Amino acid sequence: MATAALSTVQLAPGQAAWRRFRRHRLALAGGVIILVLVLGSAFGPYLLPFDDTYIDIMKRFAPPLSGAHILGTDELGRDVLARLMMGARVSLSIGFVAMMIAMAVGIVVGAFAGFYGGLIGAILMRLVDAVLCFPTIFLLLALAALTEPGLVTTTVLIAATAWMAVARVVEAQVRSLREREFAVAALAFGSSNLRIMFRELVPNAIAPIVVAATLNVAKAILLESYVSYLGYGIQPPAASWGNMLNNAQIYLTNAPWLAIAPGLAITLAVTSFNFLGDGLRDALDPRMNIP
Amino acid sequence: MADSTGRFGVGGLHFGIPNRRQFFQLGAGAAAGLTLPGHAFAQSERPSNPPDKPRGQVIAALSQEPTVFHPLMPGIEVDQGVWWQVFSLLWYIDPAGNFVPDLAREVPTIENGGLSADGLTWKIKLRSDVKWHDGTPFTADDVKFSLELINDSNFRARSRVGHSLVKDIKVVAADEIHWRMEAPYSPYMSILGSLTFIVPKHILEKVSDPNASPFHNAPVGTGPFRWGERVPGDHILLNAHTGYHGKGPYVERVVFKYIPDLTVLYTQFRTGQVDYTGLQGILPNFVQEAKTLKGRKIVVSSTSSVEHIAPNLEFGPFADRAVREALYLAINKQAIIDALYYGLPTQTESFVPQQAWSFQQELSQHKYDPAKANALLDAAGWVRGAGGVREKGGVKLEFTNSTTSGNAAREQTQQLLIQDWRAIGAAMRVNNMPAAVIWGDFWQQSKFNSVIVGVNFMLGSDPDVTPRFGSGAIPAKGGRGYNTYQYQSAEADRLLAQGAKQFDLAQRKATYGELQKLIRNDLAILPLFQGFIAEGVKEGLQGFRPNINTSINCWNIREWYWA
Amino acid sequence: MARYVVNRLAQAIMLLVIVSAIGFAILHLAPGGPLSQFAASAQMTQEDLDRVTRQLGLDRPLPIQYLDWFGRMLKGDWGRSYRDGEAVLSVISSHLGATLELMATATIIAVLLGCWIGILGALRRYSLFDTLATVGAMIALSIPTFWFGLVTIYVFSVKLGWLPAGNRETVGDGSLLDLLHHLIAPAMVLALVETAMWGRFMRSSMLEVINQDYIRTARAKGMPEWRILTVHALRNALLPMITVAGLQFPTLLGGALVAETVFTWPGMGRLFLDSIGYRDYPVVMGILMFSATMVLIGSLLADILYAVVDPRIRVG
Repeated sequence: MATAALSTVQLAPGQAAWRRFRRHRLALAGGVIILVLVLGSAFGPYLLPFDDTYIDIMKRFAPPLSGAHILGTDELGRDVLARLMMGARVSLSIGFVAMMIAMAVGIVVGAFAGFYGGLIGAILMRLVDAVLCFPTIFLLLALAALTEPGLVTTTVLIAATAWMAVARVVEAQVRSLREREFAVAALAFGSSNLRIMFRELVPNAIAPIVVAATLNVAKAILLESYVSYLGYGIQPPAASWGNMLNNAQIYLTNAPWLAIAPGLAITLAVTSFNFLGDGLRDALDPRMNIP
Repeated sequence: MADSTGRFGVGGLHFGIPNRRQFFQLGAGAAAGLTLPGHAFAQSERPSNPPDKPRGQVIAALSQEPTVFHPLMPGIEVDQGVWWQVFSLLWYIDPAGNFVPDLAREVPTIENGGLSADGLTWKIKLRSDVKWHDGTPFTADDVKFSLELINDSNFRARSRVGHSLVKDIKVVAADEIHWRMEAPYSPYMSILGSLTFIVPKHILEKVSDPNASPFHNAPVGTGPFRWGERVPGDHILLNAHTGYHGKGPYVERVVFKYIPDLTVLYTQFRTGQVDYTGLQGILPNFVQEAKTLKGRKIVVSSTSSVEHIAPNLEFGPFADRAVREALYLAINKQAIIDALYYGLPTQTESFVPQQAWSFQQELSQHKYDPAKANALLDAAGWVRGAGGVREKGGVKLEFTNSTTSGNAAREQTQQLLIQDWRAIGAAMRVNNMPAAVIWGDFWQQSKFNSVIVGVNFMLGSDPDVTPRFGSGAIPAKGGRGYNTYQYQSAEADRLLAQGAKQFDLAQRKATYGELQKLIRNDLAILPLFQGFIAEGVKEGLQGFRPNINTSINCWNIREWYWA
Repeated sequence: MARYVVNRLAQAIMLLVIVSAIGFAILHLAPGGPLSQFAASAQMTQEDLDRVTRQLGLDRPLPIQYLDWFGRMLKGDWGRSYRDGEAVLSVISSHLGATLELMATATIIAVLLGCWIGILGALRRYSLFDTLATVGAMIALSIPTFWFGLVTIYVFSVKLGWLPAGNRETVGDGSLLDLLHHLIAPAMVLALVETAMWGRFMRSSMLEVINQDYIRTARAKGMPEWRILTVHALRNALLPMITVAGLQFPTLLGGALVAETVFTWPGMGRLFLDSIGYRDYPVVMGILMFSATMVLIGSLLADILYAVVDPRIRVG
């Protein structure tokens, strides 16, 4: 959802340098925040005196900064900060893993379609177009109906709605590179098609792939929160940012911090990945355009 | 979302108290009604009289959308809210459990000649002053048409239970109808008195497709309110039918407003945008605050469902009774009731609602005792293994628990259970599903380990639970009932057979009392508490009477009025 | 040109067929079914459930059901809702108004505000305004829509009491003022992402244009700045926006679904969620086909319009 806005801008050299610097500063900030989130979710839970699933029913709905619970407690008296950190593990992992699956599928489909072209290419790319016809949320919900909610299914579902853009990028790159001399040369040396595709052609499309991958993580984190919000995502007692938000809904009036904490976390993470992706795009290829 | 919160069932099926004795002679299991004790809210109302003519309107908020308006087709509870206003029954069951004649002039009994002594011949006398909303007089032909429609093979009837036994329907006069039953079936009395709304022959006989016609979205009935308009996804408007044959209606309009979010629904009740919070009512976490609101009344009433943990008795560890008892002992029931449900429900040990005549008082009472639970498991040979999870003979004491995803209180209950049970070396995992999935094959064919569910066990209000606990009622084993627990007990089968043949109320009470003890001691289900609903009514709106014998408490809007 | 259009149309129709097959397969292979809600109750016995399944034709093999559905759809019969028995098209159209109202309002806000921010940002590049707008847009694109909706409800409905917490109108009121009052919050929430999108697109489009030779030439000729802007820059910068409008449609529709859920708005998104929940296959299929068609028409129109207004595009 957040990935579509991209720009192709021609600039005077001096301006471009300034622009890149400025962009990179935001990208850098994004990268640092991501690092902090990853480290925080990896080591943070060990620094807290609370377990994320430990229920203390007598201490429910403690507001933030009251007593030992920095971010307060939730509807079952669990420590919100501990849950936020454990939730970060789940949400970030889903983001990364879904991105990797989407990348893998997208690259393979795009490479085959671009390399072979013709009927195979047409069929594959029409499939991409067809899946793109569904608004992401609609497709996600329809797919969610098909499976039992859980960590693995949620990840796969999100990947299933995110691979198409990559396939298009790779297809376009491979198709244009294919005719160039190094592919022809490789063919002349008798390399196999697969080898040419994935050793010679795909690596040349690495710049847009890296950018798309970064933006895809942002998209996947956002989608996890949507799916969990609509009740099809991560199951209790495991915490994810999305299901924390889902559970917080009915307590919005009395315990707003339950909704604010995970919402801010999502926004922070997604913004960081988006800035990083934007920065990478500028750095790697300022003239690049991804649909 | 449709949910088995227990407010389902054929409604309360009741036999008028004066006729009870005669009725039992019919031979099948009959029942007295569930009675609601006189509620405190009734006393708090200032005495006032209904107005001479309809005045004002009622905006009733529902958290599900009524979509089925043909009352004989498959619908859910929320649809019944509309049927009650637009259509009429031959007779209905009041909150005290009495049959009250509606379209019929009197409730048929053996005494008044409406029923033959063998229960096979039914003779119903009808009112002759009833008119359909379009002015056409209601006659016995309409009753005949309705019963025949249910058995029409082209018609997607909701249920033919009981109706399929009806033969030789004869319209004797415009106000009298007779028929013969193929076999005596006393619950039919209740089936007719709960959801068999009569539909107009003069309109429906002309439609080409009985499953889809203009009638389906602009129904015509004999009820207190006539169809106004429907804005799909938003609201339904009904107007007072001034020619109504019964008491009321006293309001000009009823608007059923669909508000899918219970939080928004409560907010709108608080700000006064809605007059009544209907089905699913007010979330327990808002009740405390709601009671302090000025100008609002909050009524918490019991439903006939029982919230329980349903074990699949054929699933590994649950086959061992010691395991079930240990699990039951380790549940901190009071914490669930007090913290998660804000003290609103009452704990229970039985599958029978506490208001029913058949309710057994003397059941062993649950006590939260993890130490005893641990001892029990030790004694039964369940040894703690890796990760503290017990096992016995290669079977690990681990299982999944499922419920409808999105039901906050139940999902919280699950998490308390995980913690309670971990303490005795049992590992539970959550595996929740959307309603459309969980109540399909997963539940019907016993594919679950354990489920948290609210069920109305009564056959109507009769305690004959053969379809729930009879060994021949297991769908997973080809049975036709709902024994998804896969409970099998020769003693239970014997008691069930015996109870169905007894006609004396005291004897039946004893038999079903024994059965309740047996089910409790076998722990075929782990009961938590009796179902409840908290509903809000604006002060000044009189006439709201919860009816445990119906599936929806806004059954009698015809009697509602503004003071 | 005509050949191009025909070609694209043919492709679009083929896509719709693929879409319908994918959608149909996903839906019907999903566990559960339209009768599960009744199975939960004791109202219908297993026998009743089996009978109604047969009567609905849901016991037939899936390919047969699909061909049957497809054949009827070609004849304009999209089936009837399992829930209220209404024809699918009339079910959709009765919910469409609310959704269009929301989408149109949000789009108008987004286009006006987004274009303004984008143009200003491009003209005053790297100013404080531009920096704030860029960062703000990125954050707007990153906020989960439903969370923003919840926060809006908390602030404006719960705390301040200025706006209603949901719904399209007060029952029995329904005056224009009342409608607008209810529209503000959901439209605002939906417009947030859209505005950010339009702002970003507009900014880059404008930047591209003002660095073109003809603008420099005009400037060198001493043309007044406002004339350069309106006559040359703006006109050319707005051209690519046509494509944006077309391609934005799926995002807008998805956003509407979320906004409708949060604000209990009686539109298509709500209908879609309910219909999935009840496994109302005909309606879900109808909405999928309808939205896919809209998406395709959107991108088709965008391409054609773009080709028409921009002669540089070679069509073929």
